[in-house]
Amino acid sequence: MKVFFLFSDFYRKTIAASFLLALCFVLASCSNGEKDGAILRIGMIEEPRTLNIWLASDANSRKVISLIYQPLYTYDPDTLDLAPWLAQSMPEYDPETISYTVQLRPAKWSDGTEVTAHDVVFTVDLIKDFQVPRYYSQWQFVKKTVAIDEKTVRFYLAEPRAIFLTRTLVNYIVPKSQWAPIAEKAKTMANPLIALMNARVEKPLGSGPYVLAQWREGAFLHLVKNDHFFGSGIEISNRKLGPHADAILFKIYGTADVGVLALKKDTIDFFWWSIQPGYIEDLEKDENTKVYLSDRSALYYMGFNVRKPPFSDPAFRRAANTVIDKNFIIERVLQGYAARMDSIVPSENLFWYEEHLPRYGQGLSRDDRIKKAHRLLSENGYTWETAPVNRSGEVVTPSRILLPDGRPMDDFTILTPPADYDPARATCGVIIQEWLKDLGIPASARPMSFGALLQRIKDRHDFDTFILGYGQLALDPDYLRSFFHSANNRPGGWNMSGYSNPEFDRLADESVQAMDPRIRQELIRKMQQVVMEDVPYIPLYNPAAIEAVGEKRFTGWEQMIDGIGNIWSICRVKSTEADM
Amino acid sequence: MNLKSLLLRRSIEILVVFGIIMTGLFLLFHAAPGDPISMMVDLTMTPEDVERMVAQLGLDQPIWIQYLYYIKNFFTGNFGTSFHYGRPVIEIISERLPNTILLFTTATILAAMAGVWLGKIIAWYKGKAIDTWTTIFALVCNTLFLPWISLLFIWFFAYWVGWFPLSGMMTPEIWVNPEAGFFAKAVDVLHHMLLPLLTLFIVNTGSYLLIMRSSMLETIKEDYILTARAKGLSEKQVRNRHAAPNALLPVVTSVGLSLAFSVNGGALTETVFSWPGIGRELIFAVSNSDYPLAMASFLFIALVVLVANLIVDILYAYLDPRISY
Repeated sequence: MKVFFLFSDFYRKTIAASFLLALCFVLASCSNGEKDGAILRIGMIEEPRTLNIWLASDANSRKVISLIYQPLYTYDPDTLDLAPWLAQSMPEYDPETISYTVQLRPAKWSDGTEVTAHDVVFTVDLIKDFQVPRYYSQWQFVKKTVAIDEKTVRFYLAEPRAIFLTRTLVNYIVPKSQWAPIAEKAKTMANPLIALMNARVEKPLGSGPYVLAQWREGAFLHLVKNDHFFGSGIEISNRKLGPHADAILFKIYGTADVGVLALKKDTIDFFWWSIQPGYIEDLEKDENTKVYLSDRSALYYMGFNVRKPPFSDPAFRRAANTVIDKNFIIERVLQGYAARMDSIVPSENLFWYEEHLPRYGQGLSRDDRIKKAHRLLSENGYTWETAPVNRSGEVVTPSRILLPDGRPMDDFTILTPPADYDPARATCGVIIQEWLKDLGIPASARPMSFGALLQRIKDRHDFDTFILGYGQLALDPDYLRSFFHSANNRPGGWNMSGYSNPEFDRLADESVQAMDPRIRQELIRKMQQVVMEDVPYIPLYNPAAIEAVGEKRFTGWEQMIDGIGNIWSICRVKSTEADM
Repeated sequence: MNLKSLLLRRSIEILVVFGIIMTGLFLLFHAAPGDPISMMVDLTMTPEDVERMVAQLGLDQPIWIQYLYYIKNFFTGNFGTSFHYGRPVIEIISERLPNTILLFTTATILAAMAGVWLGKIIAWYKGKAIDTWTTIFALVCNTLFLPWISLLFIWFFAYWVGWFPLSGMMTPEIWVNPEAGFFAKAVDVLHHMLLPLLTLFIVNTGSYLLIMRSSMLETIKEDYILTARAKGLSEKQVRNRHAAPNALLPVVTSVGLSLAFSVNGGALTETVFSWPGIGRELIFAVSNSDYPLAMASFLFIALVVLVANLIVDILYAYLDPRISY
């Protein structure tokens, strides 16, 4: 009884609380009016997990980190060539000593102290001492790093390495003053690497255009202009740099739906996330928003386990490639917002991309694809009780394909990530399964959780075929070596297909040491030819980066490969209110 | 059995169940495919990097050694460090938990109060239009797909009408403004809370209403209700003082457990409203094999639910003197 009366009392209190809430709501509505024209508001789909540069592995953390820490060189947005960033000029190579000398430009950390060659030496030594994952493989061939003077640093390489320029020198430099004490302390711990990666840096000292002012975890990040940013007012790659916004607010929206609404409602100026094509029409109708479609450096592909027959037979793989209609996938599954891929290197990566490659089945009708694939398979000993093409040349429903040894081919699976992880890849699996069945190839698509999928493909090599993708490939195509060099055909290695071709290995090994970009370009292009002749991977598509901005408050976004979310945009966007 | 021995017996039971949950969680996480490092599709991670990380995190140890460490750490209050945040999980949980409690526990309490009150009233009008329509409404609310209705509410109330913020827990512009005082910030959080609260309230009220209504319908068939009427008490007195308190019993179980589970938050609701609660962290931790964070969150939820069960049992004895243990 007493309890029930207590509830009745609760009701009265609830009514009072409701009035209070209503009052608060009115007051909050009033206080929302203030706006600062100089704050650039960026929406993110998830909060960064950490701003510890050595731990950060998620895209959102890396976005914020990219505005704080800076590399010696970056990529020119037009040409994608290296552009000096913290460095004053291009590095000087001395083939005698296999060394590169880099001159730093006048630059300061956000606390006003000078960025020196000692910071560069410290960064390299720290990565090598702790063998920091993700970074170590890019620096381990650097034998010694020496500060020649305060602003000159020399890197001695153990052997010539082409990726030093295009991969290694684009890594971030950290301040010795902040990280040396952390590193010293970490070395005394039982697990030094973990101690380093778990070190909490409340206010990271950076040399970038912005510094962290406040991180209200779970809610927002507030970055303010770094008054000591080296780029302010100077021109790099024919672009005069700012930054012009006084501050950046990163706001978190859990779903793309809400992020897009925030953009339309002018709550943010840029949603730093590649949105689905379905939003484009709606956003284009809105006069305050603008959609940017950019090329990406990505690869979505089907891979074979070439360790076992019939996937070990290049003719079988070529036939499969022939029957796959990439244009259909792009039009129907990706609504046209993707580029067809015929090489492992995206065609947008102009310098490295090889144009003259076999384009299996391109431009053919469905029947012609089946006929061509049928011919390829027949020529290589595959037979059917009922062939996909009858004697009159008509395409018919085939019986199960018989392998060259006369046995019927066993059922096999195309492993894909589940539809909730990536609907496009899951759908591709089903479509490709049907196309292969047109040849009597008994495929069945099987979506499975991403962890299980990777374990089977990468660690255990227990699979037939799979569809995977890399959303952001480096611009340097050294990944070709990772994917297809026989040395990487091991559990956990990136040669998941088990591809092995001595000619490819030779070309790849040569490309690693080719310091002349033209020679390396030729080798990389040859490597693409070899791979696409053997097709251990069937490249499918490269989806477009679809990004949207609100044009009311800021303009001047810089579009380059992978979109407008880049350091150039952040350094260049200007407030429209400032122009008025 | 008196209350003391009940408490002792149930505490032992809780400890045993908790031990089983601890072990089950450990085994489940370690049986799941993939480890937190090798799952990263990052070309800059070489197999050597993965091996090094796995060794440093102690994941290369035999499973029973890992289990012993896990038990030892738990009893020494060390829940480990999140693989992805690089911070102690206890810190992450204690940061997110108040947000979850603020939203979900408030919503559960408000919805229970409204549901009980409405259920009590409409049961009295059984068979009348008000009963039919309210029951239909409650059924609809109860079966609403929460993320869908949340998005719809965001679109209508926050985007179209503009009464509420789109998502999140605070307006960064207010929080970074040095002139904004405590009151402005408190009001801002309340303003952000209203829409998710309203959504959860609408969805949750339906179930409490239906439980209370059906419990009331059972209760009003009892002899003591007839007696109360025969004594000449008013309908309101019969309903509020005789029927409703007795009909509350099943609702207490439901509310008690819902309150306990409210610390779990709601992954989908928190994601749609960008509410920085524990539900989102749980999903992130599970999908990224962040064992320490996921296991500590689950253990915490299990403990709260087990203790809530005990409290509900005690409350039962208090509410219904016929029940003895």
